[in-house]
Amino acid sequence: MSHVDEGTLHAYLDGELPSPERAALESHLAQCATCRAQLAEERALLERSAALLGSARPVERAVPPFEQVRRATRRPWYVRTEFAWAASLVLAVGLGYYLADAIAPREAPANRGPAAVASTVSESVPTDPLVIARQENAPAQKSTARRPSAPPPLEEKAQLSQADAYRRDSDVMGYAAQPPAVSLRGAAPLPFDTVRRSNAREEVPIADAQAGVVEISPRAGAAAAPNANRADSRSVRNLVSTSWPVISRGKAASLLGDRPVGVPGLVTRGIRSSPKGDTVVVEQALDSRTVIQIFQHPANTETDALGARERADRVLARYVGRLRVEISGPVSTDSLNKLLEQVEPLP
Amino acid sequence: MPDDIAEVYRNTYPALVRFLYRKVWDQGRAEDLAQEAFARALVHRPDNTRGWLFVVAANMARDEARKAARERRHLTLLKSEPDATELDPEESIDAHTQAQQVRVALEQLTPRDREALLLWDAGMSYDEIATQTGLARGAIGTTLARARRRLVEAYDAGQEGGQHVARG
Repeated sequence: MSHVDEGTLHAYLDGELPSPERAALESHLAQCATCRAQLAEERALLERSAALLGSARPVERAVPPFEQVRRATRRPWYVRTEFAWAASLVLAVGLGYYLADAIAPREAPANRGPAAVASTVSESVPTDPLVIARQENAPAQKSTARRPSAPPPLEEKAQLSQADAYRRDSDVMGYAAQPPAVSLRGAAPLPFDTVRRSNAREEVPIADAQAGVVEISPRAGAAAAPNANRADSRSVRNLVSTSWPVISRGKAASLLGDRPVGVPGLVTRGIRSSPKGDTVVVEQALDSRTVIQIFQHPANTETDALGARERADRVLARYVGRLRVEISGPVSTDSLNKLLEQVEPLP
Repeated sequence: MPDDIAEVYRNTYPALVRFLYRKVWDQGRAEDLAQEAFARALVHRPDNTRGWLFVVAANMARDEARKAARERRHLTLLKSEPDATELDPEESIDAHTQAQQVRVALEQLTPRDREALLLWDAGMSYDEIATQTGLARGAIGTTLARARRRLVEAYDAGQEGGQHVARG
């Protein structure tokens, strides 16, 4: 038997070599010092590789009860918001029925199809960044099984009582007065939808459905104010520096005269500029719930974006290229320092 | 049957989270996606639940990456709801630095080598990896040997490079 190749040795070490081959290999190893040495080398490599992967593993947490998955209480947020999105359309369509019956049965434009719905919805451009984010994510679970929406079931009609408050709002009417044959663009494929419906009644708080309306049709905000406030206080609670407008990477680069900087490997959640445009903040997620802010401005300019300092308990600074960079976040100074050291121009 | 999936869930959930974590590099999202995969399995009832879950998880992770790329253009949402079960962020800093170095090393593998390695690390057998990746079973040992070697080499190279930068 000639010397053994590394693939066979790895299969052997992994316990995946079929027994006839294993027996042959072992008898060869007994006689061949070269292959024994090779085996030791491969074993060391294998252990090293496993250790490296092991050092990049998530924290072991208790497995959540299966019942939780079954009831899908911890849906990813984009699925939940997608429900809200779909619910808002359901409500809007339902409202259309209501209005068509109660107000203007003949004026309901009979030839408006799904495309009209889509364009109307996409035209109602939200101004709240939160809304943009949600809409951006809403279609993530694209519907492949579109189905015409039958007349709304009873429980959906029941929601119409809540819609009374919005009745006079012309924007809502504008896209709510649809004929029955519209497609629910945001509806998920049928099986999921079934699950979602069954879950919706028991677990999705009604506030979510209302928030969906608020988010998708911000111009209805005045009429829906009481609910909007409720939704806002819940979802905007953690929004930081809302007064700083969101900007693109390109815009940030032109303000700074250089590429914006951040910690490589962290997800960038957003880039904003100070109202005066003299400071840029890059917001990055340490994990899904911890966000750090990296303030930056050209080192040769003065900035009055001291709001940053006021807002943050601990601010550390250094220069990266021609930028002065400050970092803040809900972690210790030590940790901020470590992160600050890693800061470099974003790709 | 749901009970079967419940059994797979208990046995496979941690491995699936680990597998996803090495793709999305965010524990919360990895957990969300893993649960989503199981929720889908409940609906689809695949024959080979375990294999199916990893295929779906890999697809979801890929979609996540695309979505993240889109979000980089506009997203401003800070999803930072306090969570009593969340770890102290302090603890995650060192882990992040290490994970980041491994991540960079992993990204230097070919997609197929990386997939085989992550699937093996998630507890899959050679047979399962072969089914999953389309590789011949006989090629898995060689693939893993190459993947492991490249991972270690890339990691060590990164360490040396990092030290130069730190000292330079």
